[in-house]
Amino acid sequence: MLFGRAQKNPINLPGKDAEVVKWEYTTCGYCSTGCSIEVGVNSEGQGVRARGVGGADVNRGKLCLKGIFEHELFTSAGRGEQPLMREKTFDAYEPVSWDEALDKTAAEIKRIQEKYGRDSFAIVSTGQILTEEFYTLGKLARGVIGTNNYDGNTTLCMASAVSGYKRSFGSDGPPGCYDDFEHTDCLIAFGSNLPEQHPVIYWRLRQALEKRKFPIIVVDPRVTMFAQYADMHLPVTPGTDVVLLNSLAHVILDEGLEDTTYIHSNTSGYDEFAKLVAQYDPVVTQKICGIDEDTIRNVARLYAKSNQAMSIWTMGINQSTHGSDGVVAINNLNLITGNIGKKGGTSLSITGQCNAMGTREWSSCSGLPGYRALEKEKDRVDIAKFWGIDPEFFPKQRGLFQTDIFPAIETGQIKGLWLIATNPMTSMPNTARIRKTFEKLEFCVVQDAYQDVETTEYAHVYFPAGLWAEKEGCMTNTERRVNFISNVLKPHANSKPDLWIFNEMAKRFDQGKKIKFPDSAKEVFDEMRELSKGRFLDISGMTHEKIKASRGIQWPMSDGADSGSARLYEDGKFQHADGKAKLIPLNFIDNNEKPDEEYPFWLNSGRVVEHFHTRTRTGKIGNLNKFSPTPYMEMNPDAAQELGVEHMSYVRLVSRRGDAVVLVQLTQRVPRNMVFIPFHFHECVNRLSLGLLDPYSRQPAFKQCSVRIENVSQQEAAAVVNKAARAF
Amino acid sequence: MYEVRDDEPGYAFVPDVKTPEVNQWGRAIETTQAAELRGQSLTINGDEAVSENPNRYKQHGFHFTADNCIGCHACEAACSEKNDLPAHISFRSVGYLEGGTYPAYKRLNISMACNHCDNPVCLKGCPTRAYTKFAEYGAVLQDPDICFGCGYCTWVCPYNAPQLDPVKGEVSKCNMCVDRLEVGLKPACASACLGGALDFGIIESKPENREQAKLRIPGFPTPEITNPNIRFQQTRSLPRELTRIDTQPIKYQRDEQGLGEYKVKPISADSNKAWSLRNLRSREDPLVLFTLISQLVVGGFTAIFALPLFGVDSLSASSNPTTFAITLLCMMLMQSFALAISTMHLGKPHRFYRAFNNIKYSPVSREVASLAVFFSLFMTYLANHFFGSLLWSMQTSQTLGLALGSLSVFTGLIFIYAMHKIYRIEARPYWNHWQVLTSFFGSVLSLGGLFVGAIFSLSLYLQGENNGALLSLLAWPVFIGLLMESAGIYFHKRDMNKAEGEGLAALNVQHSQFGLSHRFRNISFIVAMTGFITLANVELTSGLTFVFWCGLSALVVAASTIGRAMFYVMVIPTTMPGAFFWRNEGFQTHARESGLAAMPQTGVLPKTDYHHEQLQRAKDDIRNELTTLRQKGLFKFLKLRWQKRFKSVVSQA
Repeated sequence: MLFGRAQKNPINLPGKDAEVVKWEYTTCGYCSTGCSIEVGVNSEGQGVRARGVGGADVNRGKLCLKGIFEHELFTSAGRGEQPLMREKTFDAYEPVSWDEALDKTAAEIKRIQEKYGRDSFAIVSTGQILTEEFYTLGKLARGVIGTNNYDGNTTLCMASAVSGYKRSFGSDGPPGCYDDFEHTDCLIAFGSNLPEQHPVIYWRLRQALEKRKFPIIVVDPRVTMFAQYADMHLPVTPGTDVVLLNSLAHVILDEGLEDTTYIHSNTSGYDEFAKLVAQYDPVVTQKICGIDEDTIRNVARLYAKSNQAMSIWTMGINQSTHGSDGVVAINNLNLITGNIGKKGGTSLSITGQCNAMGTREWSSCSGLPGYRALEKEKDRVDIAKFWGIDPEFFPKQRGLFQTDIFPAIETGQIKGLWLIATNPMTSMPNTARIRKTFEKLEFCVVQDAYQDVETTEYAHVYFPAGLWAEKEGCMTNTERRVNFISNVLKPHANSKPDLWIFNEMAKRFDQGKKIKFPDSAKEVFDEMRELSKGRFLDISGMTHEKIKASRGIQWPMSDGADSGSARLYEDGKFQHADGKAKLIPLNFIDNNEKPDEEYPFWLNSGRVVEHFHTRTRTGKIGNLNKFSPTPYMEMNPDAAQELGVEHMSYVRLVSRRGDAVVLVQLTQRVPRNMVFIPFHFHECVNRLSLGLLDPYSRQPAFKQCSVRIENVSQQEAAAVVNKAARAF
Repeated sequence: MYEVRDDEPGYAFVPDVKTPEVNQWGRAIETTQAAELRGQSLTINGDEAVSENPNRYKQHGFHFTADNCIGCHACEAACSEKNDLPAHISFRSVGYLEGGTYPAYKRLNISMACNHCDNPVCLKGCPTRAYTKFAEYGAVLQDPDICFGCGYCTWVCPYNAPQLDPVKGEVSKCNMCVDRLEVGLKPACASACLGGALDFGIIESKPENREQAKLRIPGFPTPEITNPNIRFQQTRSLPRELTRIDTQPIKYQRDEQGLGEYKVKPISADSNKAWSLRNLRSREDPLVLFTLISQLVVGGFTAIFALPLFGVDSLSASSNPTTFAITLLCMMLMQSFALAISTMHLGKPHRFYRAFNNIKYSPVSREVASLAVFFSLFMTYLANHFFGSLLWSMQTSQTLGLALGSLSVFTGLIFIYAMHKIYRIEARPYWNHWQVLTSFFGSVLSLGGLFVGAIFSLSLYLQGENNGALLSLLAWPVFIGLLMESAGIYFHKRDMNKAEGEGLAALNVQHSQFGLSHRFRNISFIVAMTGFITLANVELTSGLTFVFWCGLSALVVAASTIGRAMFYVMVIPTTMPGAFFWRNEGFQTHARESGLAAMPQTGVLPKTDYHHEQLQRAKDDIRNELTTLRQKGLFKFLKLRWQKRFKSVVSQA
């Protein structure tokens, strides 16, 4: 059968396969799954292809769509090419040399600190840069500039997980790993939508399910892809996870399904915990959390009776007014069932940013490097000695969290700000308030790979940074796997690696000249290895070469060890002083802005698979962006009918903070009293969001507030409003 | 050969499994028995290596577990990355259907590319023979270097597989990643799947852990048309009704008992009737004019050539030589214009000569061929008419004229029939009805009659002669033409209603969005028919008759143009569901109108036509060829071209 012609023509296939002269190993710079990528480089040194590394344990050759097109980042639009400077934010930017930009910034930092005090200059960093860069920034912020108002944007995503882990186990650090899917007998996902947020982790789960079926339970108010494919979907009322979790514990204790041996030997605080959960009888709680009594009992029994059961969660828990409590409640559930530190039994947060873990471990944002605390004198002395400075230079208590830094700018306690790879103009709740906040700054410097990152609107100086594989170093993923980013390409135009920028900045301070700031990532890594020796997050057994050869190593790995560690707490020893995990009683505090007559809809937000964070990267790549090039809102068709709202029309949403115009997609994915908007878009969902702060983690509750929907009669005008907010 | 990595994961390899001899359609899975077709290099990008894949001569295909697809776009991305596609083109697309009520809501994602069908309608439809179904893997490959961008394959394919790029003016499509298959690797899309949904193998083989190899799932057009090489697993229960998220006005429903297959149903039509005149414009505008003009010319020529033979002397060249000549010249100019715009409608107009490449299968080739024969004969008739007497005797010229005229009429009618065949596309139920035939021949009669009537009656009137008798006579074909077309419209409506599906959905659009335009067309036809039947029976004064004739003609021309434009814009193909943004016509229109499409990363082209760019490219192409010709000389040039096209030549058994 050669059909269509008598003669066979040669075949010409499109594509850039033939161009590739070498494949360079690196790790994906989007989410925290930590996939290993090979970038195909052509003879001119351009990145022209990308593929998953077959032998890497995390992704085993797979990539999600963002990773597949990651090589296009090198040439994507809006990259910074030259440092920019201006006197006032209403002036136009002028391109300047690095020296001018750095000198000016250093002088402004000194001026502000001298005039208003050391803490009046704040630094807000990220989860996007490399661990060696985080460590160096920490050294610069804590040891040289000496501001205590230094934090990361990880407050917006993982702070509640960190806080919950610390409260329960005495330390941060996700105890499980992806391999747990292969061993577990039951998995509950709380506010986690793996297929759309972490598709490669979902694929690992699917692989496990292909081999051996076990129940999947998804707790989510929206019918996500994961909810649809779960064996049980619990459409919980927003903000009531703690109630549901306390009720599950209630049933387990009430029916004697708990692991008494584990509780006795490895936990403290059982009595008070038991007393509290006794109040959470499903008969009562079903009316609060929206999950019926039978279902609660069924899930509790299923989970407790499984030999190994695991919980995962993401922003559905973390971005709540009591996200930290939610995390502790998940930990409680796993502690009372003995599901910590064993194969298939764990409490695993699914992290957001590629190196959120790196910043938690080494950036000194919440303390000092290597999970050290400012509050501990020994930690202060150790680090001061290692860096060669006076321990008294360190504050004795952690300063403001990222979400408290902005209000402090608003009210004038902070006058200067350095932003590194973060875009609060789009990512922070209540955009109107953030704009007002930024107007108050005397000096703002934005360091980012993209010049068109919206926050440059309020900056005085812009530092163009290299991105992803334009630099070299490590990142830590969700399962504590330290993986290697090779320097595949040199930084775009005159942009520089973040490490170089930090080192150059240090040189401009007297104290910076006293401390050693190594030039190469390898030397920085050696410092970190040294500082990690014998600690919980021991990486002293790793080197860049070993990490690359193993396609990532999970910490701890002490010097001389053959391999990393898949799990934490396997010996049942925790990081609290008594070596035990804490069972913490959690009262349900109901402080959400709930739907009422004036604002009758819950406003929920979340990620879509094709975009990452504020779209500075994915919004430029057509083959990603085309799947949602403009913001949209999922709305229930029954509710829409009542209001006369049509599919594919614009509506105006109004909250107590402001309004937003958005395109409507009618779907039964959301309940009648809820709308859902992807959070990636500038001037959209965060014009409406409230973001009440969690008392422990200071993480904003992005996912719970209320809005009303107004019909727009002038559809063309609405389209203009929407278009005007889309620079990319 | 494609590089197989040392650490290539096992899932990326096509499993070597035993399969039945024949597929579910009873066709052999072994693609060829002919020894001379085997063991040849595919010469992929100049690589002469020959693959040793043991299953190279077995039909391969996709297996899609609809139960599992998460809509993560990894397959689409892997495909677009490998093939280096711009954002507005995609060989593979994921769309979805959804149904149920919160929280019992279900979304059915469907990932679809080319199905390398047993009956490749694209291959058969393509006039340039850009398509080949290879014995290797049964892959249907398309060569953009041959394609001239008519887009007919995009009309006939039910799965939206061929992608017409308006910027490049050519079609391209899924190539089954034959380079990967040659080394035993699955196509990039199947290797990239993260949901455990898309897989690939020898057709009828089931991937590990899969139990079904079904031919149908909801949202997938009937496999009867092309016998596609895709098999499905879909075991989870779905809601009785599934809706699309794009703006196509169709949904999918199980029968009343909730059993059986899902049937395509139109979404209950909006009862508001509108004109939507602006929406009548489309990329197919040139075809509206081309078909109408061609029908007018064939009809008009038949009238002035044939009627005098049957005694209608006023139309003959002998009694009205000037009018006859003017009519002929007008028709020549009109037909030339129609030819020109239909050629310019191609993505690559300078490759127009390739339209004859596929006479064996393609209705387009046959139409163009019959047009070419008709037009040549017609032009020869004209030449003979004007210059025959100079070249040879009057007698010879007359005999020749009779022969050429008869042949022109004959081939003209064949041409109109061939033209109608183009639209009898199974994947376009709204078109696939004999109404196209009555409409086209109806226009032959009505427009042809109107045109001839107008010119000749004006001439008679100006000469002070009575035109009543002629117009009374010509009113008959016009009346019959309109009656034919009206009957077609009536029965088309009846049959679309009966058949439901996409045809009825399109009919609903006709009755709502274009309701007033449609009504105008129908009322115009009724008014005109009444007028013409009156004219046929009542003789008025000469001047009044002419005015009356022209008034009615204008009405018929307007109604016919609107009717033909509706024919093109309203058709709803049996195609795959889109998503909310991607592959959603409603969003594409919005993106163009709102200016979002100005950003290339929106994935929507800002314009619908790229004529200027295409012309420029045509000029460049021709200039390049001429330069090569000048540099190399004719002999070397032809040799080069020959080598380029038929580098590795094998002859079919």
